[in-house]
Order: sequence, then C-alpha cells, then structure tokens
Amino acid sequence: MKRKELRLALATALLCTVAPAHAQVANSDLLRDEAVGGDWLNYHGGYSGNRHSLLDQIDLSNVSSIRMDWVFQERISEKFEVTPLVHDGVMYITVPPGDVYALDAETGARLWRYSRRLPEKLIACCGLVNRGLAILGDRLFMATLDAYAIALDRKTGRLLWETELIDYSLGYSGTHAPLVVKDMVMVGTAGGEYGIRGFIDAFDVETGKRRWRFYTIPGPGEFGNDTWADDSWKTGGSSVWITPSYDPELNLVYWGTGNPGPDWNGDVRLGDNLFSDSVVALDADTGKRKWHFQFTPHDVHDWDATQVMVLMDREYRGETRKLLVTANRNGFLYALDRVTGEFLKATQFVKQTWAVGISEEGRPIRRPGRVPTAEGVEVFPAVAGGTNWMSPAYSPDTGLLYVSCRESSSIYIKGDTEYRPGTRYWGSMFINEVTQDDWYGAVRAFHPVSGERIWEHRLFRPAWAGLLSTAGGLIFAGTSDGFFKALDAKTGAERWRINLGAGVQASPMTFESNGRQLVAVAAGGALFVFGLPQPAQD
Amino acid sequence: MRSAHRFALLLFLPLVLVAARTHETNPMDSPEDFQEGKRLYRINCGNCHGMEGTTGRGARLARRTYRHGNTDAELFDLIEGGIPGTDMPGLWLEEDDIWRILLFVRSFAAAASTGCEPGAGDVSLGKEVFHSKASCGACHTVGAQGGRLGPDMSFAGVQYTNEQLRLALLEPARDVAKRYRTVRIVDAEGQRVEGVWMNENAYHIYIMDRAENIRSFRKADLQSLEQPEESLMPAYGDMLDASDLDNLLAYLCTLQGASEETAE
Repeated sequence: MKRKELRLALATALLCTVAPAHAQVANSDLLRDEAVGGDWLNYHGGYSGNRHSLLDQIDLSNVSSIRMDWVFQERISEKFEVTPLVHDGVMYITVPPGDVYALDAETGARLWRYSRRLPEKLIACCGLVNRGLAILGDRLFMATLDAYAIALDRKTGRLLWETELIDYSLGYSGTHAPLVVKDMVMVGTAGGEYGIRGFIDAFDVETGKRRWRFYTIPGPGEFGNDTWADDSWKTGGSSVWITPSYDPELNLVYWGTGNPGPDWNGDVRLGDNLFSDSVVALDADTGKRKWHFQFTPHDVHDWDATQVMVLMDREYRGETRKLLVTANRNGFLYALDRVTGEFLKATQFVKQTWAVGISEEGRPIRRPGRVPTAEGVEVFPAVAGGTNWMSPAYSPDTGLLYVSCRESSSIYIKGDTEYRPGTRYWGSMFINEVTQDDWYGAVRAFHPVSGERIWEHRLFRPAWAGLLSTAGGLIFAGTSDGFFKALDAKTGAERWRINLGAGVQASPMTFESNGRQLVAVAAGGALFVFGLPQPAQD
Repeated sequence: MRSAHRFALLLFLPLVLVAARTHETNPMDSPEDFQEGKRLYRINCGNCHGMEGTTGRGARLARRTYRHGNTDAELFDLIEGGIPGTDMPGLWLEEDDIWRILLFVRSFAAAASTGCEPGAGDVSLGKEVFHSKASCGACHTVGAQGGRLGPDMSFAGVQYTNEQLRLALLEPARDVAKRYRTVRIVDAEGQRVEGVWMNENAYHIYIMDRAENIRSFRKADLQSLEQPEESLMPAYGDMLDASDLDNLLAYLCTLQGASEETAE
C-alpha cells in the first residue's frame, strides 16, 4: 500500500505510526481519512466523504483481469443500497428491510444474521431501504425503518440497545448509515414526503442514551423559524437520509438536509424554509449549529441537498483553504469554506433551466416561470436532480472530483395538499420526460474548485450508483443498465466491465482480505465481490 | 424525496388494510365525492394510469371491464390491497376515500363509451379477413396460433376499444409501444436488418427481425442504427374496404381469451 498525502493533519499523524493489529475498532481507526489498511469502517470509507481507498493492488495494468470472487444473495424485493463495512476479516451489511448480516470477508459465508421485527405499516417514500452501518469497538449501529437507532454486538448480532427516535407512524424512518464520532453515534430522520419535522440525534454508544438533538427546522424563537409562514415549520420536512462528513480538527459534522414539504407546492410555506436543502455544520459534542448554507431557498422542485459533502484542502485564490465541495441535486457544483460556511464558487454541472446563475452570496438567481403549475412546467434537471444520493468520489492523486451525473427533465405539476399525519404530503406530482436524446447519464470528472469538466464517460441512462476511487488510478462505477465498470481516473476510458443482471443502486467499496484487494458492490438482490485471479486451491 | 422512481417503488410498500371494507357496493355518489375522488386519483393513481385513465405504465382504466375484477367490492380490494405480482401498489386510505376514487374511476368507463363491441360487422367474415386478406396472423397471435412480431391479440376484445383498434389499423405508427417500435440496422457487412425492439443497453441492442429471429448487435459495430417511432405494421386504410374493416373489428372484439381459437 502506498502512503499518500493525507488531507487532515490529525489523520496524517495517525497514519505515520503503524497501527497494531487489534480486533476492536478504535476511534483512531475511524479518524483515518482514507480507508487505510484492509478495512472499510465508515459508509464513505472515511470521515471526509471522499470514497477513495489507498489500496492499489488492482490498477490500470491489471483491472481487465479481475473476476468474481464471491456473491451474497438474499430474497430481496427492495432496492439493495448498502455499502458494506469490513473489519478484521468480517463484512457487515444491512439487507432491506431490516436485517443485518455478518459475512466472512474472504468467502462470503454467513456468520450471523440479525432480523428486526418491523411493524406491518411502514412509511417510506422510496422503498424500504437501508444504506448501511456504523462501527465502533465491538458494536455495530443501524438506523431502522421504524425510526429506531440500534446497537448490535458485532460478534454475534445480539441486540445491545435500541432507542426510539420518534413515533414512526407519523412518517418518520431511518435509512442512512449512522456516523460514529468519539463516543457518540448520530442518526437523522427520513420522511420528507410525509410532513415530518426533521432532526438529528446523537446517542451514547454504550447506553443508547440521547446526548443531543438538532432540529433541521428551527422552532419558535430560534434562528430561521421566521423563514416558514405560519405553522408550516411543524410539517416542513427537511429530512436527513445520507451519512454526513466530519472534520475532527474542527469538530464539525456536515449534514445535508432534504426538501421542504409539501414538495411541489410552496404556497403554504412561504419563506426560505431553513434549514431545508442545506448543509448544516454542527458541533459534534453539543449538536449546536456553527453555520449553515442553503443551496435552494424555498425549493419547489424536490431538490434535497442530501448529496455527500466532500471535505478537502485545496487552493482557492492563492490560498490553501479547508473546503467542502458538493455536487447538488439542483444542478450546481458548490465549493464552500468548511470553517465558516462562506460561499466560494458554484458551477453548473448538468443541463439546468431554472436559474440564471448563482449570486456572489451563493443564492440562486431564478428564471421566471419555472415553478410548478397546475398544467405542469418542464424544468431541467428532473426531480431526481443533476445527481442524487449516490456517492461521488474524490482522488487526492488526480485532484479530481468524480460525480455520477443525471441529464434529464421533469414536468413539475402543482396541486393542493393537506397535512394528515403519516400520509403523503406532496402538493401534487411530477412526470418524467423520457426521450432518447435528452435522457442519459454520465460519470464526469471535475476540478473541484473551478468546476471545470475534465472528462466525461457517458452512460446509456442516468445512474443510481455511486463511485469509488482507488490509489490504483481507477474509478469504479455502476450503471442502470446493469454494468459495473472500472474507468481510468485520469481519462475516463473504460478498462473493465461486467453485467450484473440488474441496475446498480448502491455505491461500491473496496477492502483487503488475506493480502488481496477486493471490490464490492450491491446490485439487484445480491452483493458481488471482485478481485484479481488467484491460483486454484484444493 | 429521493428519487424520480418513487412511483415505481410504491409497489414495495406493504399492504396495509387501514380500513376494512364495510360495503359491497359503492356508497359514495355525490358530486362532492366525485370531486374528492378525482383529486385523490390525481395524487395517488394518475402518474401510472394517466389523468384520463388512458395512458401510462399502469393498466388502461378507461374501459368497461377489467382483468382483475369488475364488481365494486373487487375493485375496492384492488385499490386498497394492490395486485400481487404487478406494479400496482395498495393505498393506505380510509374506506370512504377509496370508494371516492372508485367513483371517479368508474367515470372513465362511461366516457370510454362503447368498449369493444362487434357492432354491425360479421364476426366470421372478420375472422377470414384476419387470417387471409389482411394476414394479421402473420404477426399477431390469437390463442395458440399466429406470429410473434406484434402484440398478442388473444385478449383484444378486453384490452382495446373499437376506436383504439380502428386507429391502430388505420394509423399504426401513431402510438407504438416501445417494445414494438421499429429498429433499422445496417450491420458491419452492410447488411440491412429490420425488426422490433426487444431490449437495449449501452453496448448492445436486441431485436426480433421480420423472420422472428431474436438477434443481438454490438452498437459499436453497426454502420447505422435507426429507431424511428414507427411500426412494422402496415396501414390498412388502402388495403381493406369499409366492410372488411367492420368485419375485422367485430372479430377482434370477440377475442376475450376464450379457448375457441386454441382448440383449432
């Protein structure tokens, strides 16, 4: 393994000492910014959200010969969106709607299974999905569809504690992989289509006792509450459903928040609707807001800001700055100062027809006539956005940000809606315009600050799969027509592909098992693991 | 909200019997109920079935009879519980709201007027037109017999109205489902191939050619690839006279999936 330049000072310090072999996951392991060693200990691979691994056994010269090592299959009728964790030779995955499996990382053999007894009536807009786990010590943590945070014994799958976030029947659920920081595990609530009031909770990893709660919609008297007309703050959504990034030095956790509700009719929630469609930087110890930045004020297109916030230190106007870079669903790629939240730069990265541009303060300058109407209005990008929850990747080697881009439009229709607890609170609907020429996907490489597009690898259809960057100079990508492929990180040229028989709707990861680098991705009802060929064994 | 595919995903929502049905027939009949049913339909059903019940990936609702049930009680249960094995999800709504939706859905059938009825045409003469003069059977299956290039006509009388069938015969290119769109290929050797679309991804396209061979082509190898919004089916306006057409329509309307054809 190569020792690459690391971005966070603390991580660098830790990496310079050879980590002793230990079974338990320590906080110091989690602090390593890239996925160091053979393990993958966080949904993104590391706190910075870059989904880049230092493993380089599979590289440009040999990737064309990788082949399947093993497959995990279950009877899964839901989308399989998990990114596995790997520690100490064991892989941990969630299987929808509420199962957790421990698998031997070398062979895929099952070691244990935890199956959550879920209520019959679950409320989830977009499938009964789960994206994965968090790990610390001998514990695994999961957010559940019935709106609990739970802890399992990682050796047996035994339930150690469970804490209710809130009554799920009001439309709340948990779908994202939690984040562990110090001795806390953090979980946000999904449910932005059901008139929830979003929040983020931090729990003691040992007891499950709540340490703090941050509401993504401020209450009366709090900053931002006046950005919601009347009582609309009570049902304004602003959900949380993707794992945040964390800067240990600043002790800030960066959460992307979801759309305001009702989605396509903003009349009942006049105002900017803070902190929907935003990134909020929270002090990890207290849950207090240090700063926020709202990408799409008063959104009426359902453009959640639940894309991954990628942390990197890069030069901006002659000065090295601590940056937060994110490709937003609204079609713009943003660079912010992650210390202060200062807006630095926004660049359009897909076709969009709703904004003239972004002002110097970072506020969109809207084009007139692009809000939903009763008859319907076509706007680019589509409801699913210029990208979505699937992970981008950032390679410190190339200095490029890689994004799975979606080129498409929707007809946005506005209608009436009324709040009824636990039911859809949408304000009408949308129709996707599907045409041959105007509806496609692309993996694109961008300079993260200037926004300049360096290359594009075009996809047949917009993808729902994330990207993985490796020190082998590769970008792994999934597609909606069932392919899993490896691209040259410098040029986008395809170097390997296989068809997995179902659209990939998850982000890939990589790990090491007995000296071999393996790459894993979920597709359909299976998890596929690939590596270089090895000599036949008895 | 996460994804544009949310409607597709609703099918995975569990079936929830919020309110068991307490009536056998629809108790809702007021204009207010109808309006409310229309509103609920637009929110819950319209994206798949179309605002008028005629378009979309869901079944056509603007007709008199349905494949999965026709009584009020049967249709209530379908709306409430969904249809297993299909993309049709159940809805978590109060009993009264489901009845209101059904009240509105029933209005489609009235608007669809005739449905498929033999009318003035002669069924047995129409059958002859189908098999000989118009050679429909070369591309369309009825029962156990016929071609496979076009859609199966075994249920034509249930699936389509007279107007739809007439339009399909006179202007077949007007509304071709993607699965039956024309694909024209010139392969690497310059050979021209024409067929109907079966599947496609970034690298390959799969078609059924006119001889019903299932063929795969690597897109990168092709000299040209055209996918016009056309049908391989000829327009029959010039080939059939008015009485042929009436007779053919009459025959098609009798096709309800019965075993008469398969027994031949």
